[in-house]
Amino acid sequence: MSSVLDQENIDNLCVDVSEASGTSREQQKWSEDVILFQPYQVEQITLPDYAQCLAVEAFLRMTGIIFRVEQRTNAAEMSPSGKVPFIQVGSQLIAEFEPIVKFAASKGYCLCKDKPEQAVAEMWAYVSMLDNILTNAELYVAWMVPDVLAEVTKPRYGCAYPWPLNWILPWLKQREVQHLMTIKDWASKSLGEVTGEVRVCLRALSEKLDKNKFFLGPTPSELDAVVFGHIFILQTSKLPGSPFNKLVSQFDNLGNFCKRIESTYFF
Amino acid sequence: MASEKMKLEVWKGDWGLPSVDPHCLAVLAYCKYSGVPVDVIKTGNPWRSPTGNFPVLRHKGESYCKVTDIFSYLRKEHWGSDFELSTKQSADVIAFSALLEEKLLPALLHLWWMDDKTFIDVTRPWYSRAIPFPLSLFLPGRTQKKAELRVNLTKGGEYISEMETEAKVYKEAKECLNLLSHKLGDKQYMFGRLPSSLDALVFGYLAPLLKAPLPNNQLHNHLIQCDNLCRLVNDVLVTFFPVDLREMEEKKKKEQQQKSKNVTMDNSEFPHRRRNMFLAGIFALTTMAIYAWSSGLIQIQISDLDPAPSPDSRTNGKRSQVAVEAGGAQS
Repeated sequence: MSSVLDQENIDNLCVDVSEASGTSREQQKWSEDVILFQPYQVEQITLPDYAQCLAVEAFLRMTGIIFRVEQRTNAAEMSPSGKVPFIQVGSQLIAEFEPIVKFAASKGYCLCKDKPEQAVAEMWAYVSMLDNILTNAELYVAWMVPDVLAEVTKPRYGCAYPWPLNWILPWLKQREVQHLMTIKDWASKSLGEVTGEVRVCLRALSEKLDKNKFFLGPTPSELDAVVFGHIFILQTSKLPGSPFNKLVSQFDNLGNFCKRIESTYFF
Repeated sequence: MASEKMKLEVWKGDWGLPSVDPHCLAVLAYCKYSGVPVDVIKTGNPWRSPTGNFPVLRHKGESYCKVTDIFSYLRKEHWGSDFELSTKQSADVIAFSALLEEKLLPALLHLWWMDDKTFIDVTRPWYSRAIPFPLSLFLPGRTQKKAELRVNLTKGGEYISEMETEAKVYKEAKECLNLLSHKLGDKQYMFGRLPSSLDALVFGYLAPLLKAPLPNNQLHNHLIQCDNLCRLVNDVLVTFFPVDLREMEEKKKKEQQQKSKNVTMDNSEFPHRRRNMFLAGIFALTTMAIYAWSSGLIQIQISDLDPAPSPDSRTNGKRSQVAVEAGGAQS
């Protein structure tokens, strides 16, 4: 690894030692209130958004940052990128998982600062895999499977708005997701194929976790937060046909991992 | 085993690469790694392709168009380069493939199809040369639209400006290159001494970025700094595709010869330029003279040199006056 490269990317990833050394100084800077904004968890939130919110919440809990959760019906409209969740720190708004992780790292809150380079590279690859496979699968199930769409997703997505908005807005969102799925070649897949993709992804995760407590050794990492977010909702979501619930139970170590994280960080 | 030979159709190559398309390159590399007996057809005519794009693998009446489908089909037919990997390494292959698709592909799409300079200087000329006539009019445009949609839908959004999307896409791609570089380390291939399907994918994505004559680009410059990734790409090219390298060298020689011819052509053009300058000078002078004459700066009087009654002194005086005035108009 060339040293030029490392220097250039000092702010990109939390593998850099130089950042770790500044931790104690930086930590005092994070004195402002941290507020996590998300849609209403019980009535409103849709499956894919729920996974993202849980991942960010788990990450914040793992780092030990003190924060509070605000539930808003219009969280998506408040977010700078149009996606939930987002955090407010002082006057700054940061949306989505990776930017939040990088922002926290720049303030000295980094979960993987003393892990080897290669392990960190692998970790981010797995985070991408979850984004690429599980997020798409969740979008597919929530917005492309007619039963789920009619019974769960649309009523939930529109619950905060009066008629006729509760009909128009979910329809617009549905169209948007369908475009996204088409361009990613997911729209042409059948539910069976999607389940197959999820199984491949879960098997890979199960192999990676093996019998360890966390994915990267004895301490939690960003990957643990993301995996928890996704697996938890795959396990607990009550959807018509429940396509994924059985899938997770095939991988014991992932189920146990999920319970462990829940009992350690969410009480 | 296969009774009939598989046929693989790919975009044709350039710049010393067996193909210019990342996905075609990945499949070609995978075939070389695993030693599949396959007929490679390098073409620029996607008329018969089911998706209008390459690669297409045809075997026993079936055709497979996506890289993942082709890989899994070959694996099913017992041709693969990943049988040596442990289950954990196979999991890594899936993860890193996703990383490439999620972080590097959008930047490459942006670079080839959305960056105005590259699109006009490199991509569009190349494809319109490669694709036969009626298709060449609309296929590049269609691909460009597709690429734009993909990048904007996945990375942008109505809340994010185009500039921000571009910055985000390139930043993520550079991070991705760093992660790949960390993963590769000092090893020959990603998982040690034997190439895997991940190496094929990485090679496919990086080779065009490294070899194509791109106008000064940040991603290309970043890749050059990752020594080990460049080494991987060059190793694969030298080991598995020596023919294309040789072809490129021959082409380069030809080009150089043509260039030296061009220099002599320049010399032969030189007298023409002289003549043109000369003609232009005459033209300018004539125009100025006509203008001067029409506006009355120069007066020309024609008179007989030897009329009997007029005295010689008067005509001499007039003629010298004309000469003076003409000199004034020219200066």
